[in-house]
Amino acid sequence: MGKRGLARRVVSILAISAWLLCATCPPPAQAADAPDPVLAHLLTEARTAAAIPGSCIQPNTERLVRVLCAGSLRVGVRQSYPLFSETHDGTRTGYEIAIARTIATRLRIDVEFVNVEASNRIPALAEGKIDLVVAEMGDNVQRAAQVRFIRPHYYQSQTVLVGPNDGRTGDWTVVNGQTVCVTVGNGSNARMLSHGIRLMLFDTAEALAARLIDGTCQWAAQDDSFFAYYFTLPDFHARFESKFGFSEMPWGMGVARTGSDTLARVLDLMSQIFHRDGVFLAAARANRIDTAFLAQQKDVWSSPTCDTASASTNPDCVLPSADASMPATSFSAAVTTFEAWVGHTFGFELILPMFKTEPAWNLFLDGLVNSLVLVAGALVATLGFAVLFGRALGSRSWPLRCFARGITIVLQSSPILLTLVVTAAALHALAPNSAQLALAAAILALGVSNGSNAGQAISEAYLTLRAESPDQAADGNLFRSALGRSATQIMSFLINAAKGTPIASFIGAPELLTALTDISSFSTGRATTYTLLLVFYTAIVMVVVWLAHRFQVFLERGNRPA
Amino acid sequence: MNQRTEHLLAEVLPHFLSGMSVNFGIAGIALAIGLTLGALFVIARSRGGWIAWVAGAVVALMRAAPTFVIMFFLLNAVPQGGGLPGTLIVAFALVPYSTAYVSDNGSKAIDQWRAGSHLAGLLFLPNIARAFFVLVMSSSVGAAIGVHEGIAVLLHEAEHLHAFGDKLVLFAIGVGCFGIPLQATLAATRFMQNHLGDRAARLGR
Repeated sequence: MGKRGLARRVVSILAISAWLLCATCPPPAQAADAPDPVLAHLLTEARTAAAIPGSCIQPNTERLVRVLCAGSLRVGVRQSYPLFSETHDGTRTGYEIAIARTIATRLRIDVEFVNVEASNRIPALAEGKIDLVVAEMGDNVQRAAQVRFIRPHYYQSQTVLVGPNDGRTGDWTVVNGQTVCVTVGNGSNARMLSHGIRLMLFDTAEALAARLIDGTCQWAAQDDSFFAYYFTLPDFHARFESKFGFSEMPWGMGVARTGSDTLARVLDLMSQIFHRDGVFLAAARANRIDTAFLAQQKDVWSSPTCDTASASTNPDCVLPSADASMPATSFSAAVTTFEAWVGHTFGFELILPMFKTEPAWNLFLDGLVNSLVLVAGALVATLGFAVLFGRALGSRSWPLRCFARGITIVLQSSPILLTLVVTAAALHALAPNSAQLALAAAILALGVSNGSNAGQAISEAYLTLRAESPDQAADGNLFRSALGRSATQIMSFLINAAKGTPIASFIGAPELLTALTDISSFSTGRATTYTLLLVFYTAIVMVVVWLAHRFQVFLERGNRPA
Repeated sequence: MNQRTEHLLAEVLPHFLSGMSVNFGIAGIALAIGLTLGALFVIARSRGGWIAWVAGAVVALMRAAPTFVIMFFLLNAVPQGGGLPGTLIVAFALVPYSTAYVSDNGSKAIDQWRAGSHLAGLLFLPNIARAFFVLVMSSSVGAAIGVHEGIAVLLHEAEHLHAFGDKLVLFAIGVGCFGIPLQATLAATRFMQNHLGDRAARLGR
């Protein structure tokens, strides 16, 4: 036997000896406060209780015992949330489905899936229609008051900003001045507003994706879990990319707040073990969802500090609930009472979100003031440009007359939206983009557009007056008479300018339409909000009509011969 | 003509014209509904009494309601936008304006007709042509809710242009395309008004 053969034999003997040594030694002792024995103990107790005759029909029986008695766990899941919970040909698949099945297997019972939506998942728990909900429910302070969240969390999503695939990723600057399509009520909308982003609202995330694909939206913000499926589609992946993420939201399974203490505790312990042993991670990989959070959580729950039975309440281990609450106004209680009174008295639901929270109230007040400034500015600008164009179009200097005529034709031929955008772009070339600049651009665009038309009417009246009295020397008197003769036209263009002011929201002017759209993005009550908006603007225009009539009388009085 | 302008004319113009057809479609729908509803209001206002008062009040409200706000109201206050496509939401948002316009001009035309001035009454027709073009121009507000009309196409294309000058060329093409039919309509309207005025003068003599 050569030296090499001897060495190989020694290594083999050592390896076999080591294996024998390990095989005969006891498994590593679990820490006394590890989650596994506590879980085993709780399950044994529950199974014993379920086996006692009559215990299953007791009214106050713990939910876990009831579930074991029934031999089935009723789990509320979403019917269609790609990669997380889907149904194909009657077969359910997805990460959340896998989790629910694993829990039922550990409990040694069957699982029964019940379809739930975001709107009915918590009531379904409270009414006892389901035992557990696993339906991408974000753990926030508001929901935590209604449902007992299972901690640690089984997933964490974040809002991602999806935009054109041009390689520009990074931070908020990539979306500066753009309109982003979002779903109503998304908790991250308020954060986007704080970065000066304009929002376009949609009811469902599916509508959001459809509008991205058909080109209606260029930018959209939604949970990364939602876009995970779309980025598996080659066409979508080629056209769009995720720019950056923000507003992380931990997802929690939930059980009813009352009568489910033991079930909740058992699920807490199971979740800890699932993280520690990589069960969540394996299920995520099998369903092709992002695993960064789960890999990080595996490290956390494997650490000696967190691999204990009490770690699910340890702030060093478990993530806190997200806090999406906003400070209430001092009069929010009175508003709520008024809403209830209207509902009780008139039988319809009135929701006034703009009066209930401080951010909404501030947006509303700013929008109101800016709208009034905008209307006043548009009226003054229209009148000013009307006089200017009237003078120029009625001028005896033909170059000036031709120039003014050309401008008037261009302005008449340009839809107001285009005039607005061009004016905003021209002003933006002179000064940095801001809310004040948008307001100024809107006032200028509305003024020049309506003023040119009114100016044309003034000049036509002026020319007829000059033709009627060619020997009249004082141009000033003639012009004043022309104002009176064209008063009806001036009035109609002043009203038109006032009616056009909400269009300023298109370029981001912070008037009332913009403000209420922003408020609607993070609150409920869209129907009431937009109805109030319509009433406000209609009332404003009616006031302008009244004022314009008085102004018309004033002009016509000046025109009357002495 | 430089390369950029050639590109704009060759590539963008067909898209823009296709978008403009949406503007005309929206205006057509709004005017058709406006003519129907407006006629009903004309009848109601001509009856006198409380019906005329109510009809007048409703028309005053419709006259004052801003199209842009009505559009957002329909989009947000009606559940799921009533399931309507964007083009119809814009068309319906324009209906209060077209109804009020038809009602006001129709009532005036009937008064003039009854007073024996038939030609003055016939001015209703060129006024409707003018209203149609106001509706075409106003339908551009659809760009704010993602309707693929002419201005939305222009703004979308403008985002791909970096130089302000190039954008202005693009916008000038848009103004030209909207302006030519508008100015032609206005000229035809003026011609018809003059023609009717001359006839009225001849009949008077």
